[in-house]
Amino acid sequence: MPQIELAGKIYEVDEDGFLQELDKWNEEFAQAYAKTEDIEGPLTEEHWKIINYLRDYFKQFGIAPMVRKVCKDNGVDMKKLYELFPTGPAKGGCKLAGLSKPTGCV
Amino acid sequence: MAKTDIGPPDYKTMLPPVISRNYGKWLYHEILKPGVLMHIAESGEALYTVRAGSPRLISTDHIREICDLAEKYCDGYLRFTSRHNIEFLLDDKNKVDPLIAELTSLNYPVGGTGHAISNIVHTQGWVHCHTPATDASGPVKALMDEIYDYFVTMKLPNHVRIALACCLNMCGAVHCSDIAILGIHRTVPKTDNTRVPNVCEIPSTVASCPTGAIRGDMKAKTVTVNDEKCMYCGNCYTVCPAMPIADPDNDGISIWVGGKVSNARSAPKFSKLAIPFLPNNPPRWPEVVEAVKNIIEVYASHARKHERVGEWIERVGWERFFTLTGIPFTDKHIDDYDMATETFRTSTQFKWG
Repeated sequence: MPQIELAGKIYEVDEDGFLQELDKWNEEFAQAYAKTEDIEGPLTEEHWKIINYLRDYFKQFGIAPMVRKVCKDNGVDMKKLYELFPTGPAKGGCKLAGLSKPTGCV
Repeated sequence: MAKTDIGPPDYKTMLPPVISRNYGKWLYHEILKPGVLMHIAESGEALYTVRAGSPRLISTDHIREICDLAEKYCDGYLRFTSRHNIEFLLDDKNKVDPLIAELTSLNYPVGGTGHAISNIVHTQGWVHCHTPATDASGPVKALMDEIYDYFVTMKLPNHVRIALACCLNMCGAVHCSDIAILGIHRTVPKTDNTRVPNVCEIPSTVASCPTGAIRGDMKAKTVTVNDEKCMYCGNCYTVCPAMPIADPDNDGISIWVGGKVSNARSAPKFSKLAIPFLPNNPPRWPEVVEAVKNIIEVYASHARKHERVGEWIERVGWERFFTLTGIPFTDKHIDDYDMATETFRTSTQFKWG
């Protein structure tokens, strides 16, 4: 399994860079990873709002929220989500939030 | 940032001039010979189409070769059909035979028109996918080699559409083809509960099961499969990478028959199970090739003109289909999914074989 070093720590990730030990997630991981998902500079308050929402939802329900749910609960639209996470809410948002990789016919 | 959301290029910029001039004004067409069509427009202009087979999975070198041919014979214009055949579009009848001669010398089969067996619509198989129960390109090549004669002639009662999907996701057309080749599993997925918590969403995995065979335990972060309820569809593996189901010894192929999409004569039909299991036997899949050839030959010798495989079977009856083809009828053929009763015989009308 590939490993990645971010902010001085080693993380197990899969070939697409998704965290493989979800309990190892921390805020430094998200911040240090942002650059590979086309996010410039430090994560803003808006980024954190989505990341924390994704993590809370995953913790409570065991699944990533559907994209309509993300938009509705956070008062954002798809366009805004893509402005925050240029690679998209699944590949970008879920990866930074330390959720399992989206599956199915993606 | 790169330009986005620009869509595909406008197809009208790529039409041969003879098609642009006569767009929407075609009078009639004729099949001049296998693989060659002629369309006549109101203006009197003619378009000649030469159809050649393609393995679908092709290299850029091969595409360049096709482009060179198009450059030489049809001013650089060509198209691909919805069954992945190549069509060269010519406005000069005198170029048709030289093109066919060159195609033949390069080993392109010319045909696939009319009452023929055209290309096999197929999927990724072991070349690229992670859920297949069989290969796609391999069986397609093995089968088309054996039934090549049906591609380059037009001697069947009607065209026979063959499709292949390497798992029952059925990407493509297996559920609606005259003869369908479908990869199936026969063993229960092997759950790796140490990986489940990190790579799977347990509720989605539970919900992915059509028979409710999977139970989740959110607290222990595990799933368990009830082997008795599992019918090996592999849908849970699509959703959860920690539930691999592929099994080289027990995976194989099932054959389905009688589907169609057109509304000609009868309504569109789903294909139905003919052979529940044949082994994966690479590289030539002899059992599968033999079985499909048998169905084609029995159909060809019994069906009436213009009758599709499904129409022929419904006319003679399924019991007669099994007798004529010599395919054994087993308990696996009897539907036991949620709409099963509609597929049972609720009549005394039947034939003694």
